[in-house]
Amino acid sequence: MNQLERPKDEEDQEETDCHHDNSDGTNNNNNNNRRKTVCPGAGEHPLQYNYTFWYSRRTPSRPASSQSYEQNIRQIGSVASVEQFWRFYSHLVRPGDLSGHSDFHLFKEGIKPMWEDESNRSGGKWIIRLRKGLASRFWENIILAMLGEQFMVGEEICGAVVSIRFQEDILSIWNRTSNDQTTTSRIRDTLRRVLNLPTNSIMEYKTHTDSLRDNSSFRNTKISL
Amino acid sequence: MSTDCQKTTAKAIPSTRRVTINDAAHMPHDYSTTPGGTLFSTTPGGTRIIYDRKFLLGCRSSPVAKTPPKGLPKIPGVTSPPSKDTIEKAHNGELLNNSITAPDSSNTGDDSQFEMDI
Repeated sequence: MNQLERPKDEEDQEETDCHHDNSDGTNNNNNNNRRKTVCPGAGEHPLQYNYTFWYSRRTPSRPASSQSYEQNIRQIGSVASVEQFWRFYSHLVRPGDLSGHSDFHLFKEGIKPMWEDESNRSGGKWIIRLRKGLASRFWENIILAMLGEQFMVGEEICGAVVSIRFQEDILSIWNRTSNDQTTTSRIRDTLRRVLNLPTNSIMEYKTHTDSLRDNSSFRNTKISL
Repeated sequence: MSTDCQKTTAKAIPSTRRVTINDAAHMPHDYSTTPGGTLFSTTPGGTRIIYDRKFLLGCRSSPVAKTPPKGLPKIPGVTSPPSKDTIEKAHNGELLNNSITAPDSSNTGDDSQFEMDI
């Protein structure tokens, strides 16, 4: 697809180093020690972490492979403040209006939404299956919770994904350490709260290692009630 | 009266946290928020910038949040070009809720979220 060709200067967004200082003296050296590409503007509300929006699309007939996945996913932009987030979010189509086999990803800057990324290698994700019609509302709520640091699991959150599929849509939230049960339990409980999930709703967890092994994101998950 | 009381060195729980603001632009717009976001007390490993959903939704209506982002790629069907239409489109009806600006209003957004069968 030609639309997925990345323009050459896409990564040069806001090239200058961010030398902003959080007024409490902390250094947000959180994004894998990578130089931040964006900073909050004056008067804007800073986020705990910078995040990057990604978009991917696959024609279902084409078999998925790691190489083709990396080529089919592209960055949309990065945000460092609440206001910057809204600027991007307001100019993106709602997930429920996406066509075909498409995903939006919102990941901490420096972490690629891929199993193989260093930050994801020992990680996994919670997934929630949604019937059609709910994706837009649930996506908004999950990313607001993530941006607002509602999960309270230190550095563990990597990002969130909304996947539009044929008969159902799927929400995922990725964390760094799949075998850290305290973390994964807390994420699950926070999801129930921020998404208002019915008490009997099924939540599934899958490690990225398992996904790599069976080359599938959403099959063979561990069911949690 | 017991004669073997132990002496403890009790410390008061710190109740205030000083945040230095050098620029008037960093002052929050709402009376009830603190500069830098709603900060919980100091946690091991430092403080975190925490925002609740209501606050984040409230920021959406500021003019700073509406200008088109720099470098937005053109992906038909995914990104919308900056125009008045995008602002008028109701995102799950939340945009309509945001026209109520009183921070104390308990009817913005949250009450419309209820448990749904999924």
